[in-house]
Amino acid sequence: MATFFGEVLSVYSRAVEEDDDDLDAENEDEQIHREIEEKREVHIAWCTEVAQSLEGSGSNKLQCSDLIIAVGPNAAGFLSAYVLNTESWDAVGHASLWNERSRGSSRQSIAPLPGEPACLFYRHRDNPAVLVCQSTCYIAEDQLFQWTEKVFGCLQKRGLSVMVLSDSPVAEYKTPDYLYGSAVPFLRSLKSSASKSQALCPALEQPNILTGLPAAVLSHCQVHQIPAVLYQCYTDVISPDSITMETYKPVLLCLSKLVKLEPCLSADVLRKFAIITEAQSNLYT
Amino acid sequence: MSYDRAITVFSPDGHLFQVDYAQEAVKKGSTAVGVRGKNVVVLGVEKKSVAKLQDDRTVRKICSLDNHVFMAFAGLTADARIIVNRARVECQSHRLTVEDPATVEYITRYISSIKQRYTQSNGRRPFGISSLIVGFDFDGTPHLYQTDPSGTYHAWKANAIGRSAKTVREFLEKNYKEEDMESDTDTIKLAIRALLEVVQSGGKNIELAIMKRDESMKILVQEEIEEYVTAIETEKEKAEKQKKKT
Repeated sequence: MATFFGEVLSVYSRAVEEDDDDLDAENEDEQIHREIEEKREVHIAWCTEVAQSLEGSGSNKLQCSDLIIAVGPNAAGFLSAYVLNTESWDAVGHASLWNERSRGSSRQSIAPLPGEPACLFYRHRDNPAVLVCQSTCYIAEDQLFQWTEKVFGCLQKRGLSVMVLSDSPVAEYKTPDYLYGSAVPFLRSLKSSASKSQALCPALEQPNILTGLPAAVLSHCQVHQIPAVLYQCYTDVISPDSITMETYKPVLLCLSKLVKLEPCLSADVLRKFAIITEAQSNLYT
Repeated sequence: MSYDRAITVFSPDGHLFQVDYAQEAVKKGSTAVGVRGKNVVVLGVEKKSVAKLQDDRTVRKICSLDNHVFMAFAGLTADARIIVNRARVECQSHRLTVEDPATVEYITRYISSIKQRYTQSNGRRPFGISSLIVGFDFDGTPHLYQTDPSGTYHAWKANAIGRSAKTVREFLEKNYKEEDMESDTDTIKLAIRALLEVVQSGGKNIELAIMKRDESMKILVQEEIEEYVTAIETEKEKAEKQKKKT
């Protein structure tokens, strides 16, 4: 290195590994990285029947015409109440993963307990090409790509059509106008360019964006030209709530073309899926 | 810079965001409706569902401030308790100092001043409650006032606060008739009808308090409310049959 005073200094470059001692540290680092990667790996566990049909099919893929993904407690509750409560659905698998917010899966092979945050797959008995996924656990950013690749890796791309239902707090909704209380909760939609169907609600306005699992799924569908439509429900309630779940009702129009649905639902059934926080919370009267 | 963190900061477009957000807290409380009749004032509230082991006497939305004034609130329970306590003390202080019961307007103004002070103080947040204050002055005039977290108050003939306030207010605007207010029964029925628009599972989730001139506040028992509800439903059926005939 030449200095302003005309002398030449020899400087050690940080880019070059000079000592052999560092190799052990490097190996240790690599090992730690590997362990973390393994810990954070996303595992998709299918039931024996599905696993066998996966092996049986030449391409190791499931026939699937429609995949419905629910992300968030209200979306999952809506599907549980309106779609999955008829007896014709089988639980066919679950995704297990570990991250700082979802510590569930120290027991990967065991299916999650009911009520636990989890990622569950269901298949319709009469129409096995219809799959439903309920995701109520938090999937970290670094795991989203893995989740999407692994799930879509099991499904045949041809003829696949995806619908995503997702919850979001209304505080994240950016709009120049004031939102009156009666307008909330409400739906907004977003489609992949391959989707030709008419969305049932207005499109999500700029500068609002999607994040998390819904964004990962929609991105995947856009890249792989899979027709996908997403319905985002903006709500002002933190916990699962029957009114928010009812906001998804327009979606039933599309779903009823695929599977037979419960014709009319009493409010009591919905309330069963909504957490009864009202009685416990005395914050507001 | 975020303009919604410190209460004392105006945003460039003139908003006090903390006050706006406090209004949102009010919307989390269950509905309360107030109607001012000629000879009776009525406050009706949607009863909150209590946990099994909870004593429901401690979950009251309607509180009396003095013999001639009572109020209902919507929003943060703890904030309401503070306001109610201060108002009660002020009512007695007024009686002792001036030897007259406080007018409804006086106590409303007192409550609103407290609320306003908290929108202009450093390090404090606004009260997250709106209240409906009803009663009779000593000259016999009935009053209904509404206060909100910003510290403003207005007199109303009928109003609602809380969760579905907009729906109830629209109902009241459509169905309020000046001549009905002459009758105590019709005034009470209007309050109950307004609440039935938004309350789930009918009469058993309604609590109603009335005060007639020169009488103390009376909280109606469940049977009385059910009687009114039945009468309302009968009238509704009759009206529908009449409509079908014509």
